[in-house]
Amino acid sequence: MSSSVGTGFLGRSSSSNANMRGLVQFIADLRNARARELEEKRINKELANIRQKFKDGNLSGYHKKKYVCKLLYIYILGWNVDFGHLEAVKLISATKYSEKQIGYLAMTLFLHEKHELLHLVFNSIRKDLLDHNELFNCLALHAIANVGGREMGEVLSGDVHSLLISPTSKSFVKKKAALTLLRLYRKHPAIVQPQWAERIISLMDEPDLGVALSVTSLVMALAQDDLEAYKGAYVKAASRLKRIVIDGEFTPDYLYYKVPCPWIQVKLLRLLQYFPPSEDSHIRGMIRESLQKILDLALETNKNVQQNNALNAVLFEAINLIIHLDTEHDLMKQISSRLGRFIQSRETNVRYLGLEAMTHLAARADTLDPIKQHQDIIIGSLKDRDISVRRKGLDLLYSMCDASNARTIVAELLHYLQNADFAIREEMVLKIAILTEKYATDVQWYVDISLRLIAMAGDHVSDEVWQRVIQIISNNEELQVYAARNTLQYCKQDHCHETLVKIGAYILGEFGHLIAEERGCSPIEQFLALQNKLPACSSSTRGMVLSAFIKFVNLFPEIKPQLLNVFSVYSHALDPELQQRACEYLALATMPTDDLLRTVCDEMPPFPERESALLSRLHRKHAKTSDKRTWVVGGKDANADAAELSMATKPGGLKRTFTSKGPVPGTPTNGSSSAANDLAGLDMSATTTTTTDAPKPTKPPNLASAAHLSPGWERGYNRLMLRADGVLYEDGQIQVGVRSEYRGQMACLILYFTNKTPALITSVTTTLDLDEAERPNLGWDIKGLPDPTLSQGGQTQQVVLFEAKRVFTKSPTIRVSYIAGALQGLTLKLPVALHKFMDPAELSADDFFKRWKQIGGAPREAQAIFGLSNAAKHAERELSEGFVRAVVEGFRWGVLNGVDPNPRNFVGASVVHTSEGGKFGCLMRLEPNYASQMLRLTIRATDEALPPVLLKLMQQQLERGAATAQERPPPPTVQEISDAFRNVMVTTSSR
Amino acid sequence: MCNFLEYKDTKIVYRRYASLFFIAGCGSEDNELITLEIIHRYVEQMDKYYGNVCELDIIFSFTKAYYILDELLLAGELQESSKKNVLRCISQQDALEDMEVEDEVTKIM
Repeated sequence: MSSSVGTGFLGRSSSSNANMRGLVQFIADLRNARARELEEKRINKELANIRQKFKDGNLSGYHKKKYVCKLLYIYILGWNVDFGHLEAVKLISATKYSEKQIGYLAMTLFLHEKHELLHLVFNSIRKDLLDHNELFNCLALHAIANVGGREMGEVLSGDVHSLLISPTSKSFVKKKAALTLLRLYRKHPAIVQPQWAERIISLMDEPDLGVALSVTSLVMALAQDDLEAYKGAYVKAASRLKRIVIDGEFTPDYLYYKVPCPWIQVKLLRLLQYFPPSEDSHIRGMIRESLQKILDLALETNKNVQQNNALNAVLFEAINLIIHLDTEHDLMKQISSRLGRFIQSRETNVRYLGLEAMTHLAARADTLDPIKQHQDIIIGSLKDRDISVRRKGLDLLYSMCDASNARTIVAELLHYLQNADFAIREEMVLKIAILTEKYATDVQWYVDISLRLIAMAGDHVSDEVWQRVIQIISNNEELQVYAARNTLQYCKQDHCHETLVKIGAYILGEFGHLIAEERGCSPIEQFLALQNKLPACSSSTRGMVLSAFIKFVNLFPEIKPQLLNVFSVYSHALDPELQQRACEYLALATMPTDDLLRTVCDEMPPFPERESALLSRLHRKHAKTSDKRTWVVGGKDANADAAELSMATKPGGLKRTFTSKGPVPGTPTNGSSSAANDLAGLDMSATTTTTTDAPKPTKPPNLASAAHLSPGWERGYNRLMLRADGVLYEDGQIQVGVRSEYRGQMACLILYFTNKTPALITSVTTTLDLDEAERPNLGWDIKGLPDPTLSQGGQTQQVVLFEAKRVFTKSPTIRVSYIAGALQGLTLKLPVALHKFMDPAELSADDFFKRWKQIGGAPREAQAIFGLSNAAKHAERELSEGFVRAVVEGFRWGVLNGVDPNPRNFVGASVVHTSEGGKFGCLMRLEPNYASQMLRLTIRATDEALPPVLLKLMQQQLERGAATAQERPPPPTVQEISDAFRNVMVTTSSR
Repeated sequence: MCNFLEYKDTKIVYRRYASLFFIAGCGSEDNELITLEIIHRYVEQMDKYYGNVCELDIIFSFTKAYYILDELLLAGELQESSKKNVLRCISQQDALEDMEVEDEVTKIM
């Protein structure tokens, strides 16, 4: 059989092993080995042979390759190969591709990231990274992506990054470079430098879906750690998703069983979940449209397995995003009903995922009602034939539990616990204990359930659980009598789990006296119950019982002889701990006076408040995942303010009220703070400390902010402060134009971007920014995004609506980035200022003066006397009447002629519109003195916030002055002359 | 049977093809179904390359199976879902090897 296959392989051309007859024969031999011993014999023979060959040295590349291949095969069969690593590593520096390839494969299989031999190959890898042959680049990238660690990253990450961003890199190299960088980032985050962010995000626009997919994976990891630096990825993800799902922008080979690249869809949907939902209506609209399409597509019938899986993979990710967005009520309604069907599906995978998605829903939703209507089915899933489904059912029941259904659910869980798989019993016990504590509203229920839980599943009860029960009982007086009575009943039974004995020992020792008068609970009966258990218990439990007995000496002097007897017996115990206890207790009990005994056995103080060990234990289970969870299993309150909850322990945990003031059964308390507060500090720090060992990279600057304005921004800005339309910025590559229209408090800005380069520019990206403090005053809504690709001379536009909510002082800025060979970025200030929201007002002279007087002086007046700025003086500019008039009119004042007795003065009136602050009337008087080139400007307004703002804006424009009529450009400098004649002069000099 | 299993902090996603099990481990947060389809895409990719792939193809040509995997998955993430593109990369590798073999032969002659 093997020989026929062998020939088949030899017959096929270009199969790497085809040329290695020896290898094929060796593999065939091993396959023919009937018993393990025979295989071992054959392998040992081969190992000896190879060892000898390597020792002799002087092997040809072909032979080295062949022997390394044999070693590899032995290794992947599971045998230990402890030599030949060096020979394998040396192959990497071979010139022949086939040898190099085997060398790299061997390196990635034999070596791990901390292996000492790895240092030897850094140089070879770098050489291959820089090689002209892309296939060599790929080999090097594969190697780094498979075994690269921190050290390798520190040496090579720069080269990998270059391959990623270089305009000459082929797509298939770029995508590998992106994922290699991802690997290195995971190993050591500091390897990715903060200033790379913008460039990496721009790669999400790559037309090649393979590159986009890989870059998205990289961005997902980076964004999770620094949402702010990667916030630009949100818009990219939303628009890419739409382009794929709605616009069908992909080549046919990316269709996977009729689904357009489900992998990138899943990643984009996931990336969107890392960010808080966008407030931008356009972006929201895009996302909503894509989500709806995904939901619709998933309804298609006649699907094969693959198509079904791919559609569902995307669908479930979409559902998670819808839950995360939390505002799409229409979509939410659709998924609620669909999830109800999923959890009853005949397909196991779908049931599993349906339950998982519902658990997510329970973690976020405001109301659990849509889930509760499926309660019976969910409870039924605990009996599913598949363990994975049963586990998910357990998670969901835990999450959907609230005061109204706690009793039912806890009862079901207890019932199921008896037959549950061993693997999940401990977790179940924890969860039942937490729910019992969380939703306990009456004394009996808490004690009954807790004790029954421990009685049933004693072996699976972790220490945290029974200790917590004791703490709760100790700190709540109303529980003590009932608890003491019940633990005693349990301890009296023949089959009583040891954990119950522990609780019994503690509770009876502390509170046994409270029930001593009751029938069947007399001191001697309490004593006998515990004593009978002693022989079967472990030494730690016996220790606890002995401690209970010394408390009995104090509480029940009438049974002292029996107690002393026990102590004296145990004072000869072999166990040193027990012996010491017994001796000390014996001494304590037989002292002449009871003073010391009484002090020692005084009632225990309440336990100090601390975080619930139960929850921290539960959450410890979720630590160490590579991806950050965007939610945790548990109700909404568990997810409400994870950060806050993790910060510190909250008081009020152990002490709780068992009166009717607690959550009333029947009213959902989900989301109310009481349930969360009743739980002592929910410590989830364990889930977030996964990357603390690596220092966090320093924060990248916010390039869109006003602190990073590009040189040359001012010209266009100043021009547009007085005009509605014009060029905002222009250089050799791009022109940014603005058209604007203002209506009341609303402004519509259309930004035009024109490509002036002789080539394509790609990944055109815009980001708006405004000082944090100003955001409540000036809102905006992006109505569209620019096309990412601009052909030569092409133009694209973006519409942005602004809304003046209140008086604002700062103008928003925009970051425009694009790739023209390298990444280019501009930050410009947008000509959106308060005066743009003014409308000229017509007033008669009487009205003007009347209002001028009504408003009065400070604080509703601002005045300044100023001349040209120093820069303007330097440029020999001047204040002319025409210029001043242009500024005044550009500021949208209604100029009132004939009001001021001095005709040279300007008087104006206007109304400023804001949506939340209302309308403001503004009056202005400007007194120019052209002779002295000075101006006096006075502004009064109906609100004191306005005058200083308007004054400053006007002053900034007026100070600049106008070019004087006789202004001439200065004579050209020598440098300028030589620049202008460069061509001519070069030819002369070269002659 | 469910194709997913929770194991410690990871999830196991597996799929059976005749007598072969393909097993992937992924983070507990990862999308299970899409991981399952990565497995299928790998199998399809091998099928396309080997032509009706069987266990013996993978065994006798195990290095190739690794090379294909490297073209499909890197750093645990899918890098390329287009069958054509992956195949193109592998054929380029094959072409380079063939060229080297020819050179060898020429040299000997």
